[in-house]
Amino acid sequence: MDYFLQNFPQQLVNGLELGSLYALVALGYTLIYGILEMLNFAHGDVYMVGAFLAAGVAGFLVHNEVAAVPAGLAVALMMLVAIGGAGLLGVGIERVAYRPLRNANRLAPLITAIGVSLFLESAVQVWISPAPVLVPTNALVPQTVFHVSNVVTPLTGVILFVLAVALMVALDAFVFRTRFGSAMRATAQDREAATFMGIDVDRVILVTFFLASALAGMGGVLFGLRYASVDFFMGYLLGIKAFTAAVIGGIGNIRGAMVGGLLLGVLESLVGGFISSQFQDTFVFLALITVLLIRPQGLFGQPLTDRA
Amino acid sequence: MSAQPAPAHPIQTTHALKRIWESGPAGWNQALTRPAVLIPFFVLAAAVPLVLQYVEDNSSWIGAQYWTLILANCAMYACLAVALNLVVGYAGLLNLGFIAFFGIGSYAYALVASDQLHQHYPLWAALPVVVAVTLAFALLVGVPALRLRGDYLAIVTLGFGLIMRDLILDLDRPPVLAGHQFGPDGLNLTGGTNGIHQVDPFKLPASLPLLGPVPHFRMYYWIFIGFLALTVYCMLRWRNSRTGRAWVAIRDDELAARAMGVNTFKYRLLAFAMSAVIAGVVGMIDAAFIFNAFPGNFDVQQTVMVFIMVILGGLGSIPGAILGAILFTVPPFLLQQFVFYKYLVISIVLIATMVFRPEGLLGTVSIRPRKNLGGTIELLTAESSVEASELPAVTDTEVADLEASAGAIVEDPEWKQ
Repeated sequence: MDYFLQNFPQQLVNGLELGSLYALVALGYTLIYGILEMLNFAHGDVYMVGAFLAAGVAGFLVHNEVAAVPAGLAVALMMLVAIGGAGLLGVGIERVAYRPLRNANRLAPLITAIGVSLFLESAVQVWISPAPVLVPTNALVPQTVFHVSNVVTPLTGVILFVLAVALMVALDAFVFRTRFGSAMRATAQDREAATFMGIDVDRVILVTFFLASALAGMGGVLFGLRYASVDFFMGYLLGIKAFTAAVIGGIGNIRGAMVGGLLLGVLESLVGGFISSQFQDTFVFLALITVLLIRPQGLFGQPLTDRA
Repeated sequence: MSAQPAPAHPIQTTHALKRIWESGPAGWNQALTRPAVLIPFFVLAAAVPLVLQYVEDNSSWIGAQYWTLILANCAMYACLAVALNLVVGYAGLLNLGFIAFFGIGSYAYALVASDQLHQHYPLWAALPVVVAVTLAFALLVGVPALRLRGDYLAIVTLGFGLIMRDLILDLDRPPVLAGHQFGPDGLNLTGGTNGIHQVDPFKLPASLPLLGPVPHFRMYYWIFIGFLALTVYCMLRWRNSRTGRAWVAIRDDELAARAMGVNTFKYRLLAFAMSAVIAGVVGMIDAAFIFNAFPGNFDVQQTVMVFIMVILGGLGSIPGAILGAILFTVPPFLLQQFVFYKYLVISIVLIATMVFRPEGLLGTVSIRPRKNLGGTIELLTAESSVEASELPAVTDTEVADLEASAGAIVEDPEWKQ
């Protein structure tokens, strides 16, 4: 019990860090599912591509000793490239692979998404690097480590958490407070009716894909800064876990995805710390299956749309 | 030139072939699944290693054994593709944990027929164990998950596949939960990343009457081909039975099927469990064939591999599944120097197939986008329309009788005047 009390705060902090990452990616699943009722299996791999773009920019700046660029600007550049690149990738995927199948039955886009996921993984593996790529974070971000009583967390972890939460708040405001956000919600509720109301549904879908993918790209940057290494397979497991988070929060429900992400991160961290690090992932998937079987609408009841 | 029509082609067979060609995928399927096509196909397929051996014996070419290995691999994937076609193509269930059942079968056999647990069951005793274990896992996942909506089923089965992969990788040591160790110290169930080695092959006669001594590869090729033939036979019998029609009905419109009194849960579970058991038995044969149960054979890429075979061949088509298996096993062996690009090519083919020809080469399930908006999800099939046209014609009076007996308001012919 003493062991538990001593280590609980540390595990909680680790869990929140991890959970904010899950939440960022989970938001993308939920946004796309909300609008298209489709599971975008490739979303985790968009996150991976974002991380690689950021790692590429960081590597370029550091290895070419572009001394004139201050560290803060370099990080901002990484984020800009990753967000833009991942966002455009998401839009491209929608245009090429999903739009032709938009009105087909449910199986079709799901299978295509699996194909896109495998394509992105193989493409990065073949054309960029089959081995993990190191991100030179120590040249970009101060390696400060905070000690608060017996809890230890690096600055990058704090950045990850704070930026992730800020982005979630911004997205929430965008979806619930702006005119375009209400067009998104209308499209999610009833695509046909939204068309009749003069909403350009294609544009809404494209913007949704851009937003979702940009968030995933941002997640990739933050992951790279925090853990300093990216590999072509990193999006697969994280994608499934983020999806689990979205399901736990109620898929299609934006605030649910955020809470679900944080909850899942904490759960995973606590299971790893106190029950079994060996079966950490197994417990995550058991949580997914349990939620789906017992409460398929997720913990927070009504999703964004009332169809699921 | 005069506009006189050309005389009809005198040879009837050409005409029949032309008719089949023009009948589209549904007709091709019907033509290809007739016994007159399938029996020669399997006989020829079984004779291939003998021909290869004959060529090797009578020329400078060596490679009969290598090619038999490729073909055995191909036959194994064909079995898996036909089994996956049952659950995805017939019943419309997206089972993303399919390959896990293949792995469960492999490991179940490896555990009772190797030094891992010091058990050496003969085939007749191991087969029921493998079937029972895969069936138990299929029911464990299927009974709760098949009550879920379509894409949730995909997620649950995906999660199940990942859990099985974790268990296979982690159960090389006794599990420790919350500081408590379950099982003795030396417990090693699955061999972790190394897998289980020195799995017993089946105890089979080393030579057959008339055929003489049969090498290992050829024997297992024949076992796979035999099992494939058995599976295909069962599938075709099933397809044309009440069960098969129920599957197609559920896939095409679950609500309508349920309204017609089809127990959708029962038939979905049947398809799910049968496909799992077939995959498990294939896994068992594979473990005996390669003397190993190896975790790398059951990863995600393998699942996608079997899916692309079924999708490219055509959902719902048995010849398509076999064709898909051939297309995705033989060329990779021939193009070994490009093996690095294998999954890149496979993923591109998968996406292109879905975008440009979602029903696949021989598929009968049309999953093309609908032109109009709205309505329920449609899955028009050529099969179901063929079935409707095969029904006996009903005359108007019969309809009137039926309606009258069902209590419907019938138009009175006298009143009409």
